[in-house]
Amino acid sequence: MHSAKPYTETLNLHTIVTFKALVEAIIPSTHNLFVYGPVHAVGAVELFTYEYMIWAMDHSLTIHLGLSLTPIPLATPTAHLLDAGAIQLIASGRAKDPQTASVEGGGPFSTLSHADRFRALAILEQGAVDPGYLPQPYQYDLGYVQFIVDYLNRATMFGYYSEWSAYGTTRLNYPDQRVLEHFPLSWVQVGYPGVSLGYRDYRGTMATIIHEGGGSSIV
Amino acid sequence: MYNADVIVIGSGGGGAVVAKELGELGLKVLVLEAGPWYGNKKWPKPNEHRGAEWSSSPEDLDITLFKQHYNQFENNMNDVVSGRFRFGPADRRRAPWHRIERQTGDIWQLSGVGGTTQHYWANSPRAFPSAIDNVWPISYRELMPYYEKAEATLPVQFAAITAKEELFFYGAKKAGWSFIPTLNVESPGYRQHPNAILPPNEHLMDPNYSLEQLDHMEGCTLRGHCVNGCSTGPSVDRVAKRSTNVSYIPLALRTGNVAIRPNSFAVQIMTEKDPAEGLRASGVQFRDTWTGEVGELTAKVVVMAAGCVETPRLWLNSGLPHNEWVGRGLTHHYFDWVSGIFDEKDLMSIIGIPNVNPFVGHTSGGRVDYPGLGSFQVSGLSPGLSTFLTYGFSEAGYNFLNPPQPGDPWDIRGRVVGQKLKELMIDYPRTMSMLILTDDEVDFHNGVFVDPLIKDEHGPIPVFRYIPTKKSSQRRDQLAKYASELLKAAGAKKVIRSVLPAGFILHVESTMRMGFVTDSKCEALQVKRLYIADNSVHFNGIGGPNPTLTTQALATRTAEMIVNKYFT
Repeated sequence: MHSAKPYTETLNLHTIVTFKALVEAIIPSTHNLFVYGPVHAVGAVELFTYEYMIWAMDHSLTIHLGLSLTPIPLATPTAHLLDAGAIQLIASGRAKDPQTASVEGGGPFSTLSHADRFRALAILEQGAVDPGYLPQPYQYDLGYVQFIVDYLNRATMFGYYSEWSAYGTTRLNYPDQRVLEHFPLSWVQVGYPGVSLGYRDYRGTMATIIHEGGGSSIV
Repeated sequence: MYNADVIVIGSGGGGAVVAKELGELGLKVLVLEAGPWYGNKKWPKPNEHRGAEWSSSPEDLDITLFKQHYNQFENNMNDVVSGRFRFGPADRRRAPWHRIERQTGDIWQLSGVGGTTQHYWANSPRAFPSAIDNVWPISYRELMPYYEKAEATLPVQFAAITAKEELFFYGAKKAGWSFIPTLNVESPGYRQHPNAILPPNEHLMDPNYSLEQLDHMEGCTLRGHCVNGCSTGPSVDRVAKRSTNVSYIPLALRTGNVAIRPNSFAVQIMTEKDPAEGLRASGVQFRDTWTGEVGELTAKVVVMAAGCVETPRLWLNSGLPHNEWVGRGLTHHYFDWVSGIFDEKDLMSIIGIPNVNPFVGHTSGGRVDYPGLGSFQVSGLSPGLSTFLTYGFSEAGYNFLNPPQPGDPWDIRGRVVGQKLKELMIDYPRTMSMLILTDDEVDFHNGVFVDPLIKDEHGPIPVFRYIPTKKSSQRRDQLAKYASELLKAAGAKKVIRSVLPAGFILHVESTMRMGFVTDSKCEALQVKRLYIADNSVHFNGIGGPNPTLTTQALATRTAEMIVNKYFT
């Protein structure tokens, strides 16, 4: 897939590397699933799900500040939030696996093993961090952290297993300017035939409601 | 001089019903809707251009446009940030309208003509009589004629059976549940969902009719996209799934007495002091979501039907009299989601095909009801929605860090990630899921408040808080066990309990409770001529059944009450 318009070029490398680390842990590339067919090797990095997440986080919150409505981009602070969870995991000795060398631009979260990334997320979700060390707007708001950590999981899954990746080169446009360019690979992976006009699988009924004369009966 | 007899705020499950009923009774009605209007010629590109201000003619409805707008793709339709079905302005370049949840969860409500019924599953059961009688200020018998009328209008019919329903009923029978073919559930058992979905097209099984032809005819084609927006039908008013934008709204327009203005967010209830009546509603101030212009409309009666979050918010932001129950007592069926994975050969012997095919048929066509506990219903979704509900949305953390205890009735509990997730999703076509709806207990501490510091263009924004009571938690656990037993009785090889978060809000009810905020006729106790006609006026969570039909029955009754009191 070609890269989309340069939306992500406006982002710093740390944010991209951290979200890649997140989605790769949730839906990894799996060459050992090749036995089910070559398409099963593909994971969330190959389908650019990290870009879906970054776009969603940067377009999800607008509030009124001062004289006007102000968008609050959340992707970059959320990447730092994940690092805060990773730092807490490492400092408390709860990381189970050795860290890998950091990728260029990556922070502590991206150096964790996949399993340890979830341990770091669990620490954040359980509020087992110093709330004063978290980035804005998460500082001293552990309930909001809990909400966001859960969102990171379910939104990654929704982004990956929905048709989003098939918007291809238009995927980072505003929604009304996106165009489907192919059948989603993730739908091939799960055996979903795609949007349909109907299925000839009517198997009858055990009861029928009859509406008449202002009342109803069941036959 | 008033602009109308009645202003209705919101065009969803309740507002559309009030508008149609009042229009038929000859009153002049204006409806304000915050979100877009899909399938209306006056807004050919509703997410891209402001379009017109008002529509009041059924001639404006256009099925070709409607099919374009409702294109059924789950990300385009149901993405909570950017989907056509979100709670936000029509312009999708903008962020959704924010609500504060300081807990794991999500509030699944929609703006737009039709409101949340645009993506509801059209499940239309009545309340459990035992949750109403001697509990609500009105009796179940009093509601009955209004249920009948709403059921005939939509209309409601028992759901079509497809493979997943057949498997579900097979499991229910094997697990020892009785068949209860009734609309008034007084004892436990299983039944087809009473759904507001037209019966299957009579030619569906005839290969001489192409699916393209069937798509333009009347009747359900079992296409499985209820949640992603149904557009099957020859005209907007005859679309198979009876969201209010295709059922009550066309009927309202047909009266010639109703005009609807989308893209108009109500920001204030206007009031006046009348020497005889005291404080009473006199109109509504609203903000155009495209231009930011603020308008005012006046009427003899105002009906709030903005939903369980926005109705109390609007009360609070309007500075209406203090009532400690405004926003309080929220219930929401404390959901869970339990799924089973089946072997091909077992499925072949039970349903004659090797897959459950969760994407076929009504999104939900069968249910087990248990008055006193709640319900659970077979549910099949497209892959993105299915994945996150089955494996990604949980208050139990990660399964690999916190696996089930030995003896637990499920093999997986909480989120699944990594290669394991991909392996499980290969079994998506052989997975049957069930949504669990708990008879949620009312607790004063749960509710919707407004944040004194954080505002959007409509004022202080809603803050949501919900912690289940001990009783609600016990009921949910029991229902999850029953669901697991049903799956195992049907032959499931693996059972997964998601343990959905307490903050996942679909069927939100009872934030403006009858008897506390309104009288038994749904008129506000402290503000005359101000009525409530959405789920918020429910006294409780009606025992667990899906709430929309009860709101529609009550809204039908409320329209009658309004006319009797102020227009005869």
